[in-house]
Amino acid sequence: MAGPIDPRLLRRARATKWYLAAGAGIGIATAVLTIGQAWLLARSLGGVFAVHTLDPVWPVLAPLAAVFAGKALLSWANTWLAQRASAAVKSQLRRDILRARLATPTASTTSTGSLITLLTTGLDALDGYFSKYLPQLVLAATVPALIVLAVGSADLASAVIIVVTLPLIPIFMALIGWTTEARTKRRWKVQQRLATHFFDLIAGLPTLQSFGRARAQRKGLAETEAAHRRETMGTLRVSFLSAFALELLATLSVAIVAVEVGFRVVYSDIDLTTAFFILILAPEAYLPVRQVGVHYHDSADGMAAADSAFAEIDRLTAMPRGTLAAPAVDASRVVFDGFAYRYPDAETDAVTGIDLTIEPGEIVALAGTSGVGKTTLLNALMGFVRPTAGRILVGDVDLAEIDPDAWRAQLAHVPQQPGMVRGSVGDNVLLGDTAATEARARAALDDAGGAGIPLDQPVGDDGEGLSAGERRRIATARAMLRVRSGARLLVLDEPTAGLDAEAERVLLASLRELGVGAVIVTHRPRVLAEVDRVVHLEDPVGAAV
Amino acid sequence: MSAPAAAPPRRGWLGLLRGLTADVPRAWPHFFAALLLAAAASAASVALMATSGWLLSRAAEHPPVLYLQVAAVGVRFFGISRGVFRYTERLVGHDLALKLQSALRLRVYGTLSRTTLLGRRRGDLLTRIVADVEAVMDLVVRVLVPFCSASLVILATTTLFAVFSPASAIVLLVSAVLAGGIVPWVAQRASRAADATAVPARGRLADSAHELSRASVDIVAYGLAEERLAALLDVDEELKRAEERAAVVRGIAVAGQVVAAGFAVLLILVLGAQEVAAGTLSPVMLAVLVLTPLTLHEVLSTLAQSAQTFTRAKVALRRVEAELTAEPVGAGDVPDAPPAEDPGLRLSGATIGWPRSEALLTGLDLRVGRGERVALVGPSGVGKTTVAATVMGLIPPQAGRVETHGRVGYLAQDAHIFSTTVSENVRIGNKDATRDDVVHALARAGLDLDPDRVVGELGSAVSGGEARRIALARLLVGDYQVWVLDEPTEHLDVITAAGVLDDLWRAAGDAPLLAITHDPAVMERCDRVVRLAR
Repeated sequence: MAGPIDPRLLRRARATKWYLAAGAGIGIATAVLTIGQAWLLARSLGGVFAVHTLDPVWPVLAPLAAVFAGKALLSWANTWLAQRASAAVKSQLRRDILRARLATPTASTTSTGSLITLLTTGLDALDGYFSKYLPQLVLAATVPALIVLAVGSADLASAVIIVVTLPLIPIFMALIGWTTEARTKRRWKVQQRLATHFFDLIAGLPTLQSFGRARAQRKGLAETEAAHRRETMGTLRVSFLSAFALELLATLSVAIVAVEVGFRVVYSDIDLTTAFFILILAPEAYLPVRQVGVHYHDSADGMAAADSAFAEIDRLTAMPRGTLAAPAVDASRVVFDGFAYRYPDAETDAVTGIDLTIEPGEIVALAGTSGVGKTTLLNALMGFVRPTAGRILVGDVDLAEIDPDAWRAQLAHVPQQPGMVRGSVGDNVLLGDTAATEARARAALDDAGGAGIPLDQPVGDDGEGLSAGERRRIATARAMLRVRSGARLLVLDEPTAGLDAEAERVLLASLRELGVGAVIVTHRPRVLAEVDRVVHLEDPVGAAV
Repeated sequence: MSAPAAAPPRRGWLGLLRGLTADVPRAWPHFFAALLLAAAASAASVALMATSGWLLSRAAEHPPVLYLQVAAVGVRFFGISRGVFRYTERLVGHDLALKLQSALRLRVYGTLSRTTLLGRRRGDLLTRIVADVEAVMDLVVRVLVPFCSASLVILATTTLFAVFSPASAIVLLVSAVLAGGIVPWVAQRASRAADATAVPARGRLADSAHELSRASVDIVAYGLAEERLAALLDVDEELKRAEERAAVVRGIAVAGQVVAAGFAVLLILVLGAQEVAAGTLSPVMLAVLVLTPLTLHEVLSTLAQSAQTFTRAKVALRRVEAELTAEPVGAGDVPDAPPAEDPGLRLSGATIGWPRSEALLTGLDLRVGRGERVALVGPSGVGKTTVAATVMGLIPPQAGRVETHGRVGYLAQDAHIFSTTVSENVRIGNKDATRDDVVHALARAGLDLDPDRVVGELGSAVSGGEARRIALARLLVGDYQVWVLDEPTEHLDVITAAGVLDDLWRAAGDAPLLAITHDPAVMERCDRVVRLAR
């Protein structure tokens, strides 16, 4: 179990710190009111018991009502502040995640679907963490100490019982967690496998049906379900133990205090009012701790959400931006010097030992089998990823030192699966140069082999309404527009895939006409024949196939 | 085409639960056991306070210590029993809930396996139903057991109060209804209204983030990141503001409970003191009556929480129920066909469409014989996969004739890779295949994978090309005589696609082959291209 508060939440999200400070204030005020409430109640109960009239009740009514109102107000304020803090933290995390996504657009291991889930409903798990768990944690840190002091001022023996038993709760919970950890972990793996079986079967149902095997799998499912239940119950029997320890210690301690005080009242060791005061306060000392236990799940869910958020964000901090001015790419050679790239968590390099020089104005094709790392080279050239060994030099400056925006301003990129924004075809071409006129966009699209695509054709979410070939032509037009607005190097990944021979010919002629350098990943013979130089990449030695 | 059958009446979550209890032996005794244990656990904490109050008051009368022993034992018993009851209740409740969940999973699987899913674009439904089914756990553990037991405890406490002081009993019941029912209800409504204001911003944020993420490479490459991000952050700011406004109403329920408890304590204090003064209430009972409402707050917050969970669980279970009662479509499983001497398929004047739906294509004539490769091309949404479902015998044609000879094998573009070994994955194509058969099929599919390697969700990931080849190996291991390929190059990079096509064409031999595609590279390799139009 990690600490109760993720230090990253404190560091990264200032709203958390601020809330904890305010929450501590609320905690102290709550404790004071609780003590006041106990005192007023005890006095009136003891009084009525002694005199058998209503007299002791009247003076405490107004203050008691005020105390209850104050407690209600504080509990509301606690939730309110926590929710506000949650909103601020979520917003901060969303911003950081999106920035991280844009800082390393190709390095993503998270699919767009799970990113959106994380940004919207996923981070909402932090609401439970902030509104239920954290307030109780803050109360647990402030209230018991004050309550114990109050009890101690009335009766030392009762305070000692509380002081001794209260710390036992976290100790016992930790002990139980520690002794059962190995057992739980072992079971958890089995349980995980069984739990995914249903999901796996349901997700694979269309596949099973197409082989006529769906109905036959029901028997196997019944068996895994039974096994899953057995395993889960085995785990639960153990994991409920810590909640049991919590409940048992908290209630048993109150019972011990109550009986101890009760017998001392018989011998007039303490008076009834003091006894009531202690009895009312004793459970309040344990309440926040118990509530922390109750809301532990909210904490776990919130932490999981924060973990996925930080996993995304940490990629941003891993890559500092360069600051140097970019040398002109049409006057400097670009050199891959012992370039290697290894994906995070991979055991071997995806690309290794690449030495490659691109002269200014040269059109170079990169060829090689699938998975050989051609796209990785383009991503590194675009500054989306950094070499994990070796470097890329532009003139005599390391690309890692160069301001990426200034560098990319000289490049025009077409990825293998171009992204589209919502709007029209024209909007998408104009991404190449937002200041360009519609006529220039039209010309660029024609030159990219997209003469038949109207500029005002609507483009839906994720390029909906466009075929793969159309998308590629629009993206190529985008790149051409950018070259005509000043970019000096084309970076193209399979620009002619999905195009027929005629469209391919038009496109190649237009590229030549632009008169700028290009690095093209391709396997099409016609493209390979057109370029100045072809570089064949080999499978890296020892790389996974 | 048959007339649509009348939809069965909606049974709701209770009907669904009743149906499930029929599948689980002794479900109701288990349920009542959990309920009583939960009630006993809650009652123990109330009784602890009440007995302690009595103990102190009685002690103040200085009786012989012997007279207090029973109360002292009671206090200690309640102190211990609460934890014990709670622990047992959780085990009994979870065991029952897990059994019901298993029963529901089996029902859902049984129902879905009997309805044709192929080509019905129901991927999201399949993932959602897995989560929806889990709501039955919540319904038992977090809604029914806590709600019923809390109500039971409140009623029992009120009844006991009525014996000593009817007026106090009424105050207690009113405050419980306020704190456990009305206040949470008002708070939930207020919350929902506040949430509604955040919904549009949330939707726009999701849309923009989706676009930004899908086109992130292009947006960054063209230096538009800051501009696009700024627009998105405006939406984010709006969402944050809406959530901050909503925060105001969140604490209402908790605050309301404190107020209700305070109201009960104060009123009972006055009423009880009056009765003590009038001699109608024993002074020893006063503390019992006044202190009990203070301990009820835990029981009451259970009510509020179970109501919240219930709202969510109900919606999920209603969706599950809708699936369970939906009329099955087509055959579900592809029917078994005997091997044919001269395999092939032939559609004459066929009208293609889903049962009880409009026809997608009419008058379709198509013939694929031995050694022939035919591409089926058309705009998306025209019903190409529906043609595949019809050819495979999953659904009947709405009119005309569809004849197939030989076993039809189908290569899906998104064939599922199960979380098991490569070899078990291949055996989906033929459950009787030997290990040698599997190894041979893998080799013919151009795949050099260890048959014992575990793949899928919990195993090592396979690339898109590998997944397609595992799917191909399923066809090869099962001696399928007619091949239907659905977008065989979709989602593959250019070179991998070319490699997969090479291996596919080689492996297919002279089997009649129908390729549904929009990829020019696939069309080039076919003998004939049939274009579908709406």
